[in-house]
Amino acid sequence: MKLWLTALALAAALGSAHAQDFNWRKDAGTTITFLSSNHPWANSVLKYKDEFTKLTGITVKVDTYQEQQMRQRLMTVMNANSDEVDLFMSLPSREGAQFAKAGWYANLEPFITKDVSKDYDFGDFSKGLVAAETHGSLVSGIPLNIEGPVLYYRKDIFKKCGVTPPKSLDDLLSVAKKIKACDPSITPFVSRGLKGALPYTFSVFLHNMGGSYMTAQRKSDLCSAAGKAALTLYATLLRDYGPPGVVNYNFYQISSLYRDGKAAMAFESSNELKSVMEGGARLNDTGVMLLPPGPGGSHPTVIGWGISVSAHSKHKEAAWYFVQWATSPAMQARLALMGIAPPRASVANDPSYRKWIDAEPVRREWIDAIDQANATGTSEVGYPIVANIASRDYIGQAVDDLLLGQKPVQQACAEADRELDALIAKD
Amino acid sequence: MSTTAGPSGSLTALALPAVVFTLLMIAFPFAYTLWLSFQSYTLGSSEHFAGAGNYLQLLNDPLFWNGIRITLVLYVLSLGLQLGLGTYIAVLLHGSKRFADVLRSLLISPFVLPPVVVGMMWLVILDPAIGAANWILQIAGLPRSDWLASPRWVIPTVALIDSWQWTPFVALIVLGGLQSLPPSVYEAAQIDGASRTGTFWRVTFPLLLPSIVTAAVLRSVDLLRFFDIIYITTQGGPNDASNTLNIYGFRQGFEFFNIGYASAIMITLSTIVLGAVLAMSYARRRAQW
Repeated sequence: MKLWLTALALAAALGSAHAQDFNWRKDAGTTITFLSSNHPWANSVLKYKDEFTKLTGITVKVDTYQEQQMRQRLMTVMNANSDEVDLFMSLPSREGAQFAKAGWYANLEPFITKDVSKDYDFGDFSKGLVAAETHGSLVSGIPLNIEGPVLYYRKDIFKKCGVTPPKSLDDLLSVAKKIKACDPSITPFVSRGLKGALPYTFSVFLHNMGGSYMTAQRKSDLCSAAGKAALTLYATLLRDYGPPGVVNYNFYQISSLYRDGKAAMAFESSNELKSVMEGGARLNDTGVMLLPPGPGGSHPTVIGWGISVSAHSKHKEAAWYFVQWATSPAMQARLALMGIAPPRASVANDPSYRKWIDAEPVRREWIDAIDQANATGTSEVGYPIVANIASRDYIGQAVDDLLLGQKPVQQACAEADRELDALIAKD
Repeated sequence: MSTTAGPSGSLTALALPAVVFTLLMIAFPFAYTLWLSFQSYTLGSSEHFAGAGNYLQLLNDPLFWNGIRITLVLYVLSLGLQLGLGTYIAVLLHGSKRFADVLRSLLISPFVLPPVVVGMMWLVILDPAIGAANWILQIAGLPRSDWLASPRWVIPTVALIDSWQWTPFVALIVLGGLQSLPPSVYEAAQIDGASRTGTFWRVTFPLLLPSIVTAAVLRSVDLLRFFDIIYITTQGGPNDASNTLNIYGFRQGFEFFNIGYASAIMITLSTIVLGAVLAMSYARRRAQW
């Protein structure tokens, strides 16, 4: 894989020889359809889509859905081999392997190497995110952002209760306990409890605890000592220190609870910064950090959304032009100022972006956490198998069994391992 | 012969495209789903004929049986609530002389609301931390509830939400039935000295049965394939406690991309709905007077 990525970066660099023939208006008059998720990246970039039309003469029709509904629409269109969608957003850490195996992605490799404008620097993207978009010789998409779960915490409440930011996973529990005793009206800790959504946050607990989802022999390993410790800690934090009804919590309930000043710690996506800071109430009292290390060290989760061209599109070139425009250094620098953490190194070092970061201390802590996650993190959310999405449900089931007090940890992890072994065997 | 066959022949010819179109629109998706249910087809793997494999897998799938159980419990609870309360409200409205028009207009309002709005509205009201429902319980000195977040209470809560929306619909159907009853039977009951309760159970209720069964048929179809409010509020949780057969089939198909297996679940659900509707239609014919 490393060799392939190096070759791709080299080819992309050589491809700049073609850049002088590059013509933005080659496909003028074409209309392309973009299936988009209601994601901060899409909401920000689409404000400028008229500029793309002016530059290229290509019209972009946008269909926006909530994340899950977008996948349903995609499934209907792609299953019918329809060319109705030219471009779509995709989360490679979740569905990349499955969509690639189903043949839904057009290979962007020839476009990256042969049809690029001179200022499009493919080698500038985060290596980890490009690796997640690479399946053998197929490049399934271009990274749009970089994100991962971070711990938002209330500095004022910490000060009032005489606690310092947790330095280890064990610390997290004792901090939550002290906050509960100090101010019972505040929810000490909140994170995801919704079955299908929680592996995103739980995975960091598992990895920091020293666990992994699969053994070298490709057996599910939730019942390892580290696995059981992670399950127990995560469920205990939510059950004893989380809000009532946390079992149904996803990102929007978490952001809203924290933004309203009702939670002292929220472990949620870095992407939620904008939502958390909405209204400005949390701007001056919030700190951001990675989940503290555990016995296994620090292994933050880092993922990114990508934009892909449909294998059934009849306008692949025009679609690629939109991809190129939307992921260009110039556009990503503009989006960075709206809180979309950039997947390009050059943008991360851009002076206007650094100035934006330095304007608020919370932004500095936020980007430090993301940079650290980018440098040391893993994109393993759920099992590294084609049926990754189904695997997340079993992880969520095991956590919720404990959270709801329905099963002891041994039974919950053993049942999950049994189901997951069957899933791995089909891979 | 030619004088009668001509117009009838041209009527058939005129109606034929519409009939064929309608049949295709119903028959094609059903036949395609039926065909898929006999395939082993998961996104990313090759598709091949699986015989009755998907149906045999259903028999050994605890989540399928969980889905059947939840679907039936929700059906019985909701239908019972809606028919009971709907009939009661209809009788009250029938006897009400003042504000009858205003009350009828108000009754329509819940079921014209889109299910998404209803789901979101109740999600906020029933939020265990900040919702109004727990605030009211607290004022009344009752213990707080986790409502939709409690595996024990999630189905009764969903039944309550659905009944809030659809009881007025049942009430309007039953009210229509009440208004069409012949006054002579009441005069006869009055002459015979029947009490008000006796008149209701021995005269009104038997005569109303066809209307009540009609409402039951209409609600049964919706209740057995219950989806929208659960999808918006709990997505089948917590821990599959509201994972109805329809939600389970949907998740298998559109989240896990197990198309063949999801089709088998949906064909089974369609068979259950069809069976219930046929049974209800039979009951309605028996109740006709």
